[in-house]
Amino acid sequence: MREPTFLILTALAGGPRHGYGIIGEVNALSAGRVALLPGTLYTALDRLVAQGHVAHDRDEHVDGRLRRYYRLTPRGQQALETETARLRQLATAAETRLRALRPRTA
Amino acid sequence: MPPTGDPLARRYRRLLIGYPRDWRRARADEVVAVLLDTATPGRTRPTTREAVNLLRHGLRARLGRPASRTVVAWATLAAVICGLFTAALATWAAWHTARPLPDRAAARAVVAEVLPGHEVGGIDPAAALFTFYSQPLRARNLDSLLLGDGGEYQQASVTVAVTSAPTQRQEVLALARRRLDETGWRTYPTHVRPDVTCRVDGCTPTGAVTEIVTARRGDTALTLTVAPRPSIDDTYVTVGLSRATPTAVPFAAVAGGLLGAAAGWLLFGWVSRRTERPHPAAGTVTVLYAATMLLWWAPVLLAAPSLFRHHLGEPHPVWHPLWEWLGQPALSLFFVVGAGCALCGLALAALPRRGPLPYAADQHELLG
Repeated sequence: MREPTFLILTALAGGPRHGYGIIGEVNALSAGRVALLPGTLYTALDRLVAQGHVAHDRDEHVDGRLRRYYRLTPRGQQALETETARLRQLATAAETRLRALRPRTA
Repeated sequence: MPPTGDPLARRYRRLLIGYPRDWRRARADEVVAVLLDTATPGRTRPTTREAVNLLRHGLRARLGRPASRTVVAWATLAAVICGLFTAALATWAAWHTARPLPDRAAARAVVAEVLPGHEVGGIDPAAALFTFYSQPLRARNLDSLLLGDGGEYQQASVTVAVTSAPTQRQEVLALARRRLDETGWRTYPTHVRPDVTCRVDGCTPTGAVTEIVTARRGDTALTLTVAPRPSIDDTYVTVGLSRATPTAVPFAAVAGGLLGAAAGWLLFGWVSRRTERPHPAAGTVTVLYAATMLLWWAPVLLAAPSLFRHHLGEPHPVWHPLWEWLGQPALSLFFVVGAGCALCGLALAALPRRGPLPYAADQHELLG
């Protein structure tokens, strides 16, 4: 799973969000590293909807602008959990090696 | 969102032109709202980054199949080959802007200039700029062209035979080179071709060589061939005059290539979206696509490397035309059968679908 996809699913794990909300949340989650452009976001959303990981939740109109909310599906939640476990295992393995390296380099 | 007087919204909406119409109907209001939300206050024009991003992702959306990771590669394959063939067709048309080949008097004058004191024998004028078995290509030749003889469609040249008593070969070559330089021709290194005799059991070198001097001046290319021994009619030097690639050809290639690639991408996208399952002919269309790509790419992959080696092997004042690099018309039967497969695929894609188009379904789901 690519990082923007992981971040979009993580953003939706906090509850349904509209496009602008997802962009803001992804930016915050990545500490400003990932700034999604709307074109990129909607290609990813199309893919995630087709894969059944994300679904339409509801529509709202705010100041004459359409806000369409998306939510994580159970399948999306499972994919996010699998990816999180994979990343955690990798991060743990890297941390273990780095911890072993530190006393020698100190 | 209905069209507003906001110029930024109007410009964002215009940039969604890259997306297919069904997608725009379903999502344009939503995407424009997000774009307006992310825009800094007071801005009236989209940034270049936004514009490129929307056009790029719009072209991706045109291919449909949002979950596919390979559809972009298949579309690129189709777009590139369509671009190459339309570029070749455009260059063929542009080649016809070349001046007619030199007539007998002009050819005689060139030989008198390059080989002064030598006698001119026969002059074999060319019937057209490109000929098929030395004759202009006619509709009645199309079956021969398709069924194996396509390689005979070649650039023609006016050939002048020089028949005066032979001096030493090296003297002729030296004289020709000196005169070509003095009269403004750009000369290329002499190409030496070993002479062979062929019998039923194969060809063997005779030890003699044919020497070929090539040169170019303006829009005329010259090939001076010195044979190892005089021919039956006492010809020992021949001078061929042909036309150089007209200036319009590279421009036509670029314009034709870009238009063809864009058309290939859009057509592939249309077929890809139309035949997303459930579609009665989805499987058949995939097979027809594979057959088309195989039949169109195979001649290119066969011809281009061998022509490249040929170009490296001897000097070329004029490059072979683009269609020869694509194996055309030598392997035009492949192209024609491939075109038939492509047309069948397009016709099948036009069949009515069992369900709505995917984006229309999305819209139904989103709005329902």
